[in-house]
Amino acid sequence: MADSIGFFARSRCVGTAAVIYASDYLNKVSGERIERECKRQLDSGCQALVIDFRGTELVNSIGISILLGVIDVAEKSGAQVIFSDVNSQTAQLFEMLGLTRHVVLARDEQEALTTLTERSSAAPISH
Amino acid sequence: MSVERPDEKQRRVLGRVDRSAFVGRADELLRIVQHAETPESAGLLLLLAPTAGVSELLRQAYDELFNRRGNVIPIYFSLQREAKTAVSTAIEFLNTFLTQYLAFRRNEPALSLTSPTLHELLDLAPPADYDWIAQLVQSFNRERFNDDDESLIRWCLSSPQRIPAKHGRLCAMIDVVERVSLPAERLALTDEIIRAFSHADVSYVLAGLRRQLLRTAYSLQCEIDETEVIRVEALSEAEAGLLVEQLAQRHRVQVSAEVRDLLVQQFECSPFLISSFVQSAREFGVSLTSYLACERLYVDEIMGGRLGRYFAGVLEEIVPDQTMRQSLIRELFESSTAPEEQPRFEAWKRTLKIETEALERILRGLHTQEFISWDGNSIQTDKAPIAWKDFLRARYRLEVAKESRALVVADTITDALKRAPRTMARYYRREAAIGLRQSLARFDSQLIPSVLLDYDRFRDVYKGLPPAEIGNLLDADTDLVRLPQVVHVASCASFNPSTLTMCDEERSVVAHAFGEGKYTEANQTVWLAAEIDSKLEVELDLTKSWFESLMDVAKQSGFDGVQIWLIAREGFKPEACEFLARHRAYGSSRQQFELLSSRLGEGAEGAKDANAVHEFEMVVPMGADNELIVVHAVEEIARRLNFRPEAINQIKHAVVEAFINASEHSLSAERKIYQRFRAEDDKLVITISSRGIVPMTVEARNGEMIAPPDEEVLGNRRGLGLNLIRTLMDEVEFERVDDGTSLRMTKYLRP
Repeated sequence: MADSIGFFARSRCVGTAAVIYASDYLNKVSGERIERECKRQLDSGCQALVIDFRGTELVNSIGISILLGVIDVAEKSGAQVIFSDVNSQTAQLFEMLGLTRHVVLARDEQEALTTLTERSSAAPISH
Repeated sequence: MSVERPDEKQRRVLGRVDRSAFVGRADELLRIVQHAETPESAGLLLLLAPTAGVSELLRQAYDELFNRRGNVIPIYFSLQREAKTAVSTAIEFLNTFLTQYLAFRRNEPALSLTSPTLHELLDLAPPADYDWIAQLVQSFNRERFNDDDESLIRWCLSSPQRIPAKHGRLCAMIDVVERVSLPAERLALTDEIIRAFSHADVSYVLAGLRRQLLRTAYSLQCEIDETEVIRVEALSEAEAGLLVEQLAQRHRVQVSAEVRDLLVQQFECSPFLISSFVQSAREFGVSLTSYLACERLYVDEIMGGRLGRYFAGVLEEIVPDQTMRQSLIRELFESSTAPEEQPRFEAWKRTLKIETEALERILRGLHTQEFISWDGNSIQTDKAPIAWKDFLRARYRLEVAKESRALVVADTITDALKRAPRTMARYYRREAAIGLRQSLARFDSQLIPSVLLDYDRFRDVYKGLPPAEIGNLLDADTDLVRLPQVVHVASCASFNPSTLTMCDEERSVVAHAFGEGKYTEANQTVWLAAEIDSKLEVELDLTKSWFESLMDVAKQSGFDGVQIWLIAREGFKPEACEFLARHRAYGSSRQQFELLSSRLGEGAEGAKDANAVHEFEMVVPMGADNELIVVHAVEEIARRLNFRPEAINQIKHAVVEAFINASEHSLSAERKIYQRFRAEDDKLVITISSRGIVPMTVEARNGEMIAPPDEEVLGNRRGLGLNLIRTLMDEVEFERVDDGTSLRMTKYLRP
């Protein structure tokens, strides 16, 4: 489980999933960091992205736009996206802007990873 | 009824400013117009202080009536100070009347400003008016060469009565403010004007100095009982401030907010003095952006500029003889330096070596101009305007004390600069006062919880509780006391000037009252109340000192049935409370006072924070996540208004969006965003503006909801921010501004 910080958002890998940690204010700068890290993880073969919002108190529309871009890219790569630990106010905003139609909200990181595990277990095995 | 008709452009005829730039006096303007339009209305007297400024009010009334094109024909005539004979003034009145009448009849405003001859006026007369005006001109020619001035004057002044009734009803607005105690001839003319109109069947408005006009009207046995009287009060400080700004804008004079407020205080809201001063600033190219620049110009003006010439001109008219004038200046100045020793008539008669009648005329003139107050015996000089007192001091030093001009100028500038901050401090303290006089004036036998007069008990039970709970507890309190009915309130200083050494005039008052609704000796009471300046609970010694000072005032004034009431911001220490209780005095904190005031009924001025609007302003540079600074501020404001956490979060997000919207789209060169937060009882209004371009996507529509966000989100990620704002806030609109954008968002407080 490698952690990486700095130019990229803080993240760690759990199997084929990557958990990326959003900062306290999701704006253009922090949004782009998340975007970069997500792309890096997808390019490395990651099959699921968990974006954890435990530290996020405030979001703005630019940050949300960037998240929408991430969701797009992930969908095109066939990767799943789960948002975890979203506080109720931020969840309302995501709901208002329709994000919740495209991502699952998990209570916390653990639940998000469990969900991913269950999904991958249930996936049909192709021959 | 209103005199504003925003849908119709108001033509400016005689008015020197547009209606929108005319500051204050809205009520008086309305009353004048209503008076003119009331059928069978007779006279209206406008009584005002010498520099209160009424000419523009009458001109605005003229314009209003002219533009209404109704049945009322307005005439405006001003009796100027410039030396003219009574006959020439009467002829000028005739000319003015006919010119303005024809201007109205022909609907040609520009004609009102011309000075045609009578024959030219005859040529301008419409066919319906030709005959009677031709007859008028013929009669005038006969009277003119009749060698009877008195008859000619009366004839000219009565000319408006010749208007045929079917052509409309005249309203003559005569400005006799300039009238001073003048040579007998001009005095007689003014009397004739008053007499002519008060006995004529025309509607008229006479504007004159308050200490003179009413007396004159009575002395001429005018029909005063049928005459309406308006006492034109001074402009409010807010209006005077607005006047300064508008004059500065019109004359292209820079004025800072600090100097604006200083001018309001120094000139005591006088439109005439303010206007003269700003004109001088324009003339000399002075920017009024510092106290130094302001006071330098002020001293120049006092020493020989517009202000000095005005005061000198008035003084010269009151006292034409130069030697006598110098003696008078000496007496006036020396009296003003010892205000507690009011000189008497006989003393001045002796020192001035002047006959009774001459001195009476002088004192009457000074009294009319409100340079003194004279009751027939004692002469009070300390209530005169500040500018006059400065002028007087300078003239005394130059003409009587024979000091060098350079010294007088230097001293006057330094004195003015030293006084300026004191003047403003006095203003700020006055504004911060709790409104003791206003609240006591509203005591009218109301029942109030007695705890509001007892800090000791209040502290034990109420202190620290939220306002709503205090209100509920007070409403349920059955231990009530009945306030007396106050019949007269005045400052303590009015009874004993020495109290001014203790506090500002508005912070200690004397209220004469009757208890239990009975006007008897036994029920008569005198309340002496004072607001103590203290940041903490007041100690025993200070409490004692105040109590004893007020008791001294009571004793010296011979008051019986005294009730002492002390108010201090944070209340009183326990031992001080004990002292007050022992002496049956009341002690309240500011909070108690405000709670009491709010229970006195409608028009609560003492309870300043009830339904108060609080405004906060911030200017923040764009970038560097500076929206977070704004967000923290608005969060605190919303919390104080008791918004729920969910609503606070919505407000924060809306503010963030508005901020970054302005940052991204305005291309503002100054890179600043202006925030204004207006906190009201039931809502928070946030305005975020910036200068720069107006984006194509932004239109000045009010409160329209655009398509629901979820339909647009994925298809169009542009405009997310605006969508979000409209979803999060209750009302959103773009205000129309000249430059840039201004977004106003409102969130209502829900229980």
